[in-house]
Order: sequence, then C-alpha cells, then structure tokens
Amino acid sequence: MATLLRPVLRRLCGLPGLQRPAAEMPLRARSDGAGPLYSHHIPTSPLQKALLAAGSAAMALYNPYRHDMVAVLGETTGHRTLKVLRDQMRRDPEGAQILQERPRISTSTLDLGKLQSLPEGSLGREYLRFLDVNRVSPDTRAPTRFVDDEELAYVIQRYREVHDMLHTLLGMPTNILGEIVVKWFEAVQTGLPMCILGAFFGPIRLGTQSLQVLVSELIPWAIQNGRRAPCVLNLYYERRWEQSLRALREELGITAPPMHVQGLA
Amino acid sequence: MAAPGSCALWSCCGRGWSRAMRGCQLLGLRSSWPGDPLSARLLSQEKRAAETHFGFETVSEEEKGGKVYQVFESVAKKYDVMNDMMSLGIHRVWKDLLLWKMRPLPGTQLLDVAGGTGLAWVLGDAEELPFDDDKFDIYTIAFGIRNVTHIDQALQEAHRVLKPGGRFLCLEFSQVNNPLISRLYDLYSFQVIPVLGEVIAGDWKSYQYLVESIRRFPSQEEFKEMIEDAGFHKVTYESLTSGIVAIHSGFKL
Repeated sequence: MATLLRPVLRRLCGLPGLQRPAAEMPLRARSDGAGPLYSHHIPTSPLQKALLAAGSAAMALYNPYRHDMVAVLGETTGHRTLKVLRDQMRRDPEGAQILQERPRISTSTLDLGKLQSLPEGSLGREYLRFLDVNRVSPDTRAPTRFVDDEELAYVIQRYREVHDMLHTLLGMPTNILGEIVVKWFEAVQTGLPMCILGAFFGPIRLGTQSLQVLVSELIPWAIQNGRRAPCVLNLYYERRWEQSLRALREELGITAPPMHVQGLA
Repeated sequence: MAAPGSCALWSCCGRGWSRAMRGCQLLGLRSSWPGDPLSARLLSQEKRAAETHFGFETVSEEEKGGKVYQVFESVAKKYDVMNDMMSLGIHRVWKDLLLWKMRPLPGTQLLDVAGGTGLAWVLGDAEELPFDDDKFDIYTIAFGIRNVTHIDQALQEAHRVLKPGGRFLCLEFSQVNNPLISRLYDLYSFQVIPVLGEVIAGDWKSYQYLVESIRRFPSQEEFKEMIEDAGFHKVTYESLTSGIVAIHSGFKL
C-alpha cells in the first residue's frame, strides 16, 4: 500500500521543483531550486495550498476582519488565472510597461504632496480624497507569499494595490456593500477565483434591504461596467495622476453608479 | 582569491561582521595578509562566531536567543488555542501525566522554567538562573528546553539550583519509535501545522520553526545522556504517544 501511495504523496506533498522522495525531503525550501523565489516567498506543496485555500476561505467567512485570509485565498487559488492576466498584460503596450517597470503603490513610492496639489477632479486628487475619506492607506497590503512564480507574484501584488484605484474609479466606499460591488467588478475583469468567491459569499452578511439593492441595481451595473472596460491592470495609474477622473471613466466606459452607496449597509 | 571589497563588510554590525570574516577566511584572506593586525583580530573573533540551528536554518549562537524570543512573543496570544488545535487537546494529557509523575505535595519547592513571555513571574535565563544553589525540590520544564541555545548549560543550571535529592523533570517533543506513525507524524507536522498557524494565528513562520525545532532535538537516549552529563543520576525516560513526546527524569544526589 505504501508503495502505491508514495508517488501520490510525493506529488501532493512535494515542494515545487523538488524531485526527491518524501522521506528524504527537507520539507522546507532551501536554496536548491525549491527555495524562495522572491522576498517573503514561502514555497508550498499542492496539499498545503489546498489546505490553505480551504482554511483561509472558512476563516475569512467566519471573521471578515481577517483581510490577510482573503489575500491568502487569492494567492493559493489564483495561479492559472494570474498566468492569463499576465499574458494579457504582456500583449497590451501599457500593461507590458507595467510588467517591465513593476511600479508599486505605497506611501513611500507616492508623492502625496504632489497629489494633493493636483486639480480637483483629477485622478490623483480624487484617489487621495478616497484614501482620506475612508481612512485607508496604500500600505496595508501584505506582500505576496504563496505564489510560486516571481512575475505572477508581482501581478497579484499589482492587482491588490490597484484595488483602491478601482474604488475611486467606481465611486464605491469601503463599507461592506461597496467592497462587494468592487468584487463583482473585479470578478468579471480578472476571473480570479478569490474575487468570484468573495462576490458570491460576501453578500451572506448583508441585511435584506441592502441585498435587494445589491442584486437589483448594483451587481448588474458592476457586471456591465466590468465587461465593457478594458483590463484595469493595464493602466499605468502612476502616469495618469493628472488625467481627469471623468475623462478616465469615459475612456474605460465606466458609468456613474445607479445610486449613492454610502448610506446603505 | 578574496577580493578586498567583499571583506570590507566587517565594518557593519557584529553579526554581518563575523559572517563576512568567515567568508574571507575560506577565500584565503588570512594567508595573503599574514602580518596584518586585522587578520589577528579576525582569527580571535572566529571562535565567537559559532553557529547553531534555528529549525532547519543555520544562525549564529548570539542570534538564536533573540529569534526564539520573537517566535514566542508572536505566538503568545493564540498559544493555548493553537496547542489545542495542533494536538487535538492531547497536550493537556501529556501535561497531566507530567504532574502525576511529579506528585507534588504542599510545601514542595517547585521551579517551572520556560513558562512564557510577558508573565508577571520571575524573568530569567535558563542558562543562568537567578537563584541560589540547592534551592528547589523539583525543577520542571515543559516544551521549553528544545528552544534553549545551550541545552547543556540549562541542564547544569537545573542541577545547580536543585537540592540534593531533588528531581529534574522534562516534558519535551522526542523521536517517534514507529516508522508508519513517524511518516504520518511528519506529514501532519509539515503539511498541516504551518497552515494551521497561518489560518488561526496569521503566522506561518513560527509554526514552521516549531516543527523543525522538534526534528532538531536529540532522541530519547541522546537526551538521557546529556542529562547524565550534567550530573544527574537515575536518569530515566518514558515515551508518550508513540514517542511524539517523552518525559525525562533525573535526580541530584
């Protein structure tokens, strides 16, 4: 029985790139090919990824304040989709530049003073306003850990950092309803399993009134805009700070939300 | 041949300094600058740059204490929950067995070491206890000695602070004696435990350290010998749960 199980175990429990049988495996990545591919990388076996995916999904549902669990879910379930997204970025000139230059959105890379001085209605100014009003910071995004490819790790990091841009573009606040709407938009745009799961399971915690509004108005609007807009990962936001938000919305085909979401949820 | 540039690294902190120095030694720096006072200093520093293990990592001995402390600071909040989850509550049985073996009576002077960080008890170092000689009837340490940088020193200290006739008791992870159970245990340790740590406590690395440090700890027999080397007599051990843990006991005469 053991001999039959061994190849299965090896595949399930083997670290990416490692060929040795389970008994001899150091079981922790060293610098022999199965080592970390980027800073913060934790190589994981298929079994560990499966357990992490299930565990993080359950924990995120149980305790919605565990944003780190949502991130883990995204990383452990997104490999295939991230490849598709990366390839899409490569084919787009602006997206390819992003992949090449790997810009990051954080308080250390953003010139907040400059953004403050930009005219009202510009992307930069409105993004800053969004951060202020919702009392969020671009620095709360945890680094990627469980993606076993260094370029794809950047893609998911970029997706996470662009999330706040999407709030700004869509005019959605960071309350639970706003987050669900953005998740629907992201699900249609990226196809990431974590977005799809979040879009379907997020509403579980909503009251009936909010649920009604969500289903009848907000979700259809999010889906429509998600399908119409080109891939939002292909926008070099850092080069578009001066662009008027209205013009950018027009360029992407994003219409005004059906109603003001702030008061609900 | 060592490029002088790579050995200029010794200007930074002690840790980086000793590492760079070792690298230089391998590349032959000593032989090329024999009269250099710098190389004499490098030679004497060599002895201090001793290395040890931190799980499956290699770290300097100086670093280890700090790194272990960080791990336990990090796990403190969810310590009990995690212990219950990881061992399915069995750790309570192990600890009960330790107490049963101990049979403490009112009046017994008992010292329990490695009780945790941030507690309002006596803060000290297992390798250098803040107590006089011959003070305690029983010295216990449960799931702590594995993390001490110099286990032999901790054992010697235990011997010192015990009264003649006093007993040393240690509950610690050990080596599984059954090959099938060993494989299942390894699977569980390496595949499940860090995941539990991440999901419940948001801390993969501390729990990775935990399972690695268990593998680094000596076997029942080896540890028995270490206890004897510290001067204890009538050293025995009892394996529990197929050797996942063991209780070692010794007496100071």
